[in-house]
Amino acid sequence: MTIEFSLSKKQLEMREGIRGLAKNVIRPQALAWDRAGGIPEEFLRNMARLATSMGSNAMRSGLGDETDEEKKDAEKRRGPSGSNLFGVLASEELAWGDGGLLLCLPGPGLGGPPVRGSGTPEQKKRFFGMFEDLDGAPLKWGAYGLTEPNAGSDVSAIRTSCRKDGRHWVLNGRKCYITNGARAVWTVIFATIDPALGRAGHRAFVVEKGTPGFSVGRIEDKMGLRASETAELVLEDCRVSEDNLLGGDEKYITKEGFMTAMKTFDNTRPLVAAMACGIGRGAYEYACDFVKDNYVLGRPIPRYSAIVERLAKVGRSLEAARSLTWRAAWMADNGLANAKEASMSKAMAGQAAIKACIEAIEICGAEGSIARDHQLLEKWFRDIKVYDIFEGTGAIQRIVISKRLISDLKSF
Amino acid sequence: MISFEPTEDQKAMVESVAGFARSTLRPRIREFEKERGLSEAVRKTAHELGLGLVALPESVGGAGLGMMTAVLLEEEVSWGEPSAGFAFGGPGAFGLAVLELGTTEQANAALASFTTDGGHTRFGAVAWGEPKANRERPGFSTTATKTDAGWKLDGTKAYIVNADRAERFVVFAQVDAAAGWRGLGAFLVDRSASGLSILSRETTLGLDAVSFGGIALAGVVVPESARLLGGADGSQFDAALVRFFARHAVIVAARGVGLARAAFDATREYVDGRRAFGKPIGHFQSVAFTIADRAMDVDAGRGLVWRAAAAWDAYDAGDKNARDEKECLLRSAHAIAFVHEAAMRCGDDGVQLHGGAGFMRDYPVEKLMRDAKQIGLCGMTAEHADQLAGAIALGAPVDPGLVLPTPETQNAFV
Repeated sequence: MTIEFSLSKKQLEMREGIRGLAKNVIRPQALAWDRAGGIPEEFLRNMARLATSMGSNAMRSGLGDETDEEKKDAEKRRGPSGSNLFGVLASEELAWGDGGLLLCLPGPGLGGPPVRGSGTPEQKKRFFGMFEDLDGAPLKWGAYGLTEPNAGSDVSAIRTSCRKDGRHWVLNGRKCYITNGARAVWTVIFATIDPALGRAGHRAFVVEKGTPGFSVGRIEDKMGLRASETAELVLEDCRVSEDNLLGGDEKYITKEGFMTAMKTFDNTRPLVAAMACGIGRGAYEYACDFVKDNYVLGRPIPRYSAIVERLAKVGRSLEAARSLTWRAAWMADNGLANAKEASMSKAMAGQAAIKACIEAIEICGAEGSIARDHQLLEKWFRDIKVYDIFEGTGAIQRIVISKRLISDLKSF
Repeated sequence: MISFEPTEDQKAMVESVAGFARSTLRPRIREFEKERGLSEAVRKTAHELGLGLVALPESVGGAGLGMMTAVLLEEEVSWGEPSAGFAFGGPGAFGLAVLELGTTEQANAALASFTTDGGHTRFGAVAWGEPKANRERPGFSTTATKTDAGWKLDGTKAYIVNADRAERFVVFAQVDAAAGWRGLGAFLVDRSASGLSILSRETTLGLDAVSFGGIALAGVVVPESARLLGGADGSQFDAALVRFFARHAVIVAARGVGLARAAFDATREYVDGRRAFGKPIGHFQSVAFTIADRAMDVDAGRGLVWRAAAAWDAYDAGDKNARDEKECLLRSAHAIAFVHEAAMRCGDDGVQLHGGAGFMRDYPVEKLMRDAKQIGLCGMTAEHADQLAGAIALGAPVDPGLVLPTPETQNAFV
């Protein structure tokens, strides 16, 4: 091995392909999707087909994850798996086109990693089998239901209850901010047998759409990423078959159940970081182009050098975040534990990209705040904020990081 | 392919240099500070380890290991003592300047004495900065005038690293007064040249073991062959000049990463042990989150330095086209500016989290904080690196007067 940062031929081809698509097809529609609050199914189907043909898990499921078996197979074939790096490269380009689109792509989405990580072979077959047929069949999504109105970052505080009743479990509670929650064919729902047990009391269920007592509450009206559906899910004496308890009873003898739910994030956080880099890069490039058109170059007038400095700071912050993102993905591809590095990438990328969008609007002035089809700064400004919130806020990332740097730090 | 794993050779070298930094440099940082230099024995060991010649190509007697290996080792050395990389002896910035600006023959001749036994006793230096901006015109006040014998140099140069230790200089002077910052020339000058005097060494905020000073030139005459025209054909002086600054400042940035890591390590250790309100202070979120932020600074800074080093190695191995050159300059500028600021944050927060103890010389962090500000003024400043990155990103001409540290804008130690 050697330290290097050049892309392989396959990665370059993929990146060029997505870049062209993002520029010519995705961006011109991004504002319309944002206003309509959704993306036409036919377009999503085409995107999903394309993703499959490119062999990118990241595009297929919206978020990349490989099973352990897939990883082992890949290692036998061509050394360490490159899927995480492939995923972050693809995610950055797609998000550069439109952040909302990525979240709308059909597939198991965030529900995929816990089912892969904790599901029994039968469960994996059953729940992933639904996604195999892309042609003809209606599009399908999976979802991940952890957050509750009174339990966000503090996951151990969830109150959605589950109680065994014969061959069923009875679930009661409310889940909120669920991406693709209303249209998901199934959602991984986290519930507790007894809040006093903390994490040890948590159970994860795959709850299928149409299960009696399982309904959609409000669809959220958001600041940004408006093309992506964010829903509330309500469980009222919802009876779920014991076959849908993720991993079966034995999975929950130890704390492993909860840890698996959290492990999801080691793979997805670098992807979110990469998406943030993509949006931030869009804003940065837009501001650079704007400055080129509106200022006289090559003259050391104070205003000019101040603007240059601000742009350069944005550029290098994004590059710094990208280096952390690539590292976290590279570590995952090489089978190295990367929880700290994954959190670092997301913490830095979220903030760098938010700063990029704020600076870009300021540098472009009034015009920067106006929405037009080829002028998306105001949209990116709205879209980017949540990248420092979902998949763990900036503060949560710092908890994950500092726990791995400071001795005996169990919790704050 | 993207990879963050050093080669086996690099790992072995890093391990041995890290051992040297841990056992030889780190325990003696206060001694180096007091003595205002490294001891002869330490410099000899460094020379035996090959430090200082790592990035120089084999064609001029260097190790030919490239920029990547150089930045890996510089980080380790600087973790032990941030002054050390500047103070070991050897060609230093002088070597990089001669390589970028001179012909192969000039480089060979200028560097020969550094690559032989006893090389650690010899220093090179670059005389770039000046005490005051020229109020009459853009450019340096130090002039180079054509004579029958060659060139006559007159003026005062300042902010020179190792000025009083150097046996040979690259001196920058105004050749074409009307051309401003595009009218500079570079000349090889021996310390023994008639008319050259060494000015007194400065006392500085940090990097106490490094000597910062100046030279005065009064009618110093050098032959025509002493002029460095900017690479093999001499037509691209300004481009070679910017390349020299960027490449050298990436080496400085690697030292900044080592410094930042040293401050971070010391602070992490301290917050583990120091207790307040019944628990280690690291168990308070405001402290722990600061530790997390500084860890990100160190790691991201290293990532940027590695990317810059990889770009330089690709440039050196390729056909040196304009696209690769821009890639090098942009990556370098990102790394330089980010690391200068990150190292300062690590030093500052290091002292802050130590509280009153951090202000005391019993702990290393006060030194590292001073060193961080000092190192941020070496090579290129963050401000100039940002101007360089901005110029490239915006497709503007890379104007030496704008992107390099000059007396008109902000002097830096070179």
